[in-house]
Amino acid sequence: MIKKSIPQEILFYLAVVFISLVVLFPFLWMLSSSFKTQTDIIAWPPKLIFSPTLHNYEKVFGEQDFLKYFINSTVVGGLAVGLSLVLGLPAAYSISRFTQRKLALFILLARLMPGISFLMPWYIIFSRLGLMDTYVALVLSHMLIALPIVVWIMSSYFNSIPVELEESAMVDGATRQYAFWAIILPMSGPGIITSVTLSFIFSWNNFMFSQVLSMEKTRTLPIAVYNFVSYAEVDWGGVMAAAVAIMAPAILLTMIFQKFVVKGLTMGAVKG
Amino acid sequence: MKKILTSTVVLMSSLCLSAGAYAQTKEIRVLLANHPYGELLKTAIPEFEKQSGIKVNFESLQEGQLTTKLTTEFATKSSSVDVFMTRPLQEGKMFNKNGWYEPLKAYDFSDYPKNVMSVAAAGATPFLVPLVTEWQVLYYRKDLFQAAGLQVPKTFAELEATAQKLNSDAVAGIASRGKGAAAVTQLSSYVYNYGGLYIDKGVAVFDQPAAIDAIRYYGKLLGTYGPKGVTSMSWENIMPLFQAGKVAMWTDASVFYGQIVDPAKTQIPAADVGIADLPAGPKAGSPFIVTSWGIAVANQSKNKEAALKFLDWASSKELATKGMLSNITMARTSVWKDPKVLEAVNPGLVATRAYAAEKGYPLDRPYMSAVGEARDQIGELIIESINTKGASTTLADMARAKAARVNDLLKDAGEYGQP
Repeated sequence: MIKKSIPQEILFYLAVVFISLVVLFPFLWMLSSSFKTQTDIIAWPPKLIFSPTLHNYEKVFGEQDFLKYFINSTVVGGLAVGLSLVLGLPAAYSISRFTQRKLALFILLARLMPGISFLMPWYIIFSRLGLMDTYVALVLSHMLIALPIVVWIMSSYFNSIPVELEESAMVDGATRQYAFWAIILPMSGPGIITSVTLSFIFSWNNFMFSQVLSMEKTRTLPIAVYNFVSYAEVDWGGVMAAAVAIMAPAILLTMIFQKFVVKGLTMGAVKG
Repeated sequence: MKKILTSTVVLMSSLCLSAGAYAQTKEIRVLLANHPYGELLKTAIPEFEKQSGIKVNFESLQEGQLTTKLTTEFATKSSSVDVFMTRPLQEGKMFNKNGWYEPLKAYDFSDYPKNVMSVAAAGATPFLVPLVTEWQVLYYRKDLFQAAGLQVPKTFAELEATAQKLNSDAVAGIASRGKGAAAVTQLSSYVYNYGGLYIDKGVAVFDQPAAIDAIRYYGKLLGTYGPKGVTSMSWENIMPLFQAGKVAMWTDASVFYGQIVDPAKTQIPAADVGIADLPAGPKAGSPFIVTSWGIAVANQSKNKEAALKFLDWASSKELATKGMLSNITMARTSVWKDPKVLEAVNPGLVATRAYAAEKGYPLDRPYMSAVGEARDQIGELIIESINTKGASTTLADMARAKAARVNDLLKDAGEYGQP
């Protein structure tokens, strides 16, 4: 690496500070608003110094019972991602090793089609089956989000693992299934973590499917934020506090696994 | 692809038919809106369950979500909704045309103002019960008026002069919605007061001279004396400005009154907030008075008897009185004469409501199935007019093109030329 001169360094860090300010500004605004009263939120010029209140968070977890929605979102996201791994990992392996491009494209198609086109048929099917307002309907619909991500990330990841490894195992008498289970999967940690993180976050944030397929019992977080939006009245403090509470797990998850995510995303593509 | 999809759906649904039919008697499903009256119903429902023996499964949703959900459920013909809150002007026309409302033959509608009832009934049989009405008013700052020695404006000419006098760098003379489609409802009363309409007997007429004059006036008013960036402002943006004391006058719906005099939400003292009738225009003094919310029974309901019982209860006079006491402007006429209510409700609201109920026009937007698209079209005219301070040379041509487009929408829906 070429050593930078001091003015260059300064410029570099100024740029870093500037860009992070721009990127973080909405988040900081949200965070500070979540501790403000309604009058402080609408104050102009904005109040930088204010007496913080926890009232908004009390509303989120007290009056609105967001814990219930947290559990719903976690169950739906967790099961959808888990089942997608069970189906998606072998599928990705097969696509990678037997170069099934058409199959891969077909799975991608499910992701490319606008989600709203699935809603009507799903609604008919799930309501006739009496599955409305159950986890089953939500988990199945969220698998449409998670499964293509798992398949696409993992198939390019498997491409980066040398075929020779399984071949030598199979020469020694292992079946392909065993080689997949005992050799390939243990080597795929970063890829799996990447696909889990991304698909979980997409499921966590999904609005459209949950809106139509869930009801009071299985309502998920993104829908519940709207509990603070009433006719001709928006409780901004409540919305902000709820948004912070919803973002927290997603941010935490990303921070913990960030290293793997970057590795997993680049691994398949640029492995020399 | 589509064919495969449809055939799969048909196959799947026919397989599943046997598992359906989970309707039970003595149990109904009700969809409520995130609205103060919805909240009131929620707390009162246990009482209804006790006296009627009907179990009520309710769910409350934000208005946009409510419409999406109702549309999906009704369109797929597999809805289990029995009773629902509905926005007559936004979705009423489409829902009614699709036959999603149950006609209410036995309901007694004598307690509702005539102009309000016009959106609850297409032709003869009403299909929804109006719950909440709102009308356009002028909010103003009494303290600023007093300091400048001004009277509350009674005409559009006075309104403009007052806005000019009150306008300064710190405080905008007047505000009203400027954000395209969102502003269409607030422009409507200006159009009526100039003697125009959006749609007359199923034909778009907002390109006629009267409406054009109104759009020009609205644009001049807001472009010259409005807050900065008014073309991106709806009520969500203007109310906080008013609450922070940055606006001297504001024309919008009466529904915001409670929030701008609530000390927990406003920085200006409640005593400084005034409410008045919308000033009259050159041709008329006819602010909108609309049924913003109603309640209806689903035509697909399998428990109509129980559903109608719930509807009667939910729109009863007793609950309407309770609604009035929690600052909800109910549609029933009789509750506005109840001495107990009059004691509690702000006299300014009572007076402006009486004016609007007598002289008002029951629509605040183009009343048609494709209301959203039509609002976008008119919204562009509003923005053009504000940006040019009402002096646009192309406005009339633009309006003609937009009106033609709206007429096409009306024709597509088979509503063109229908009264």
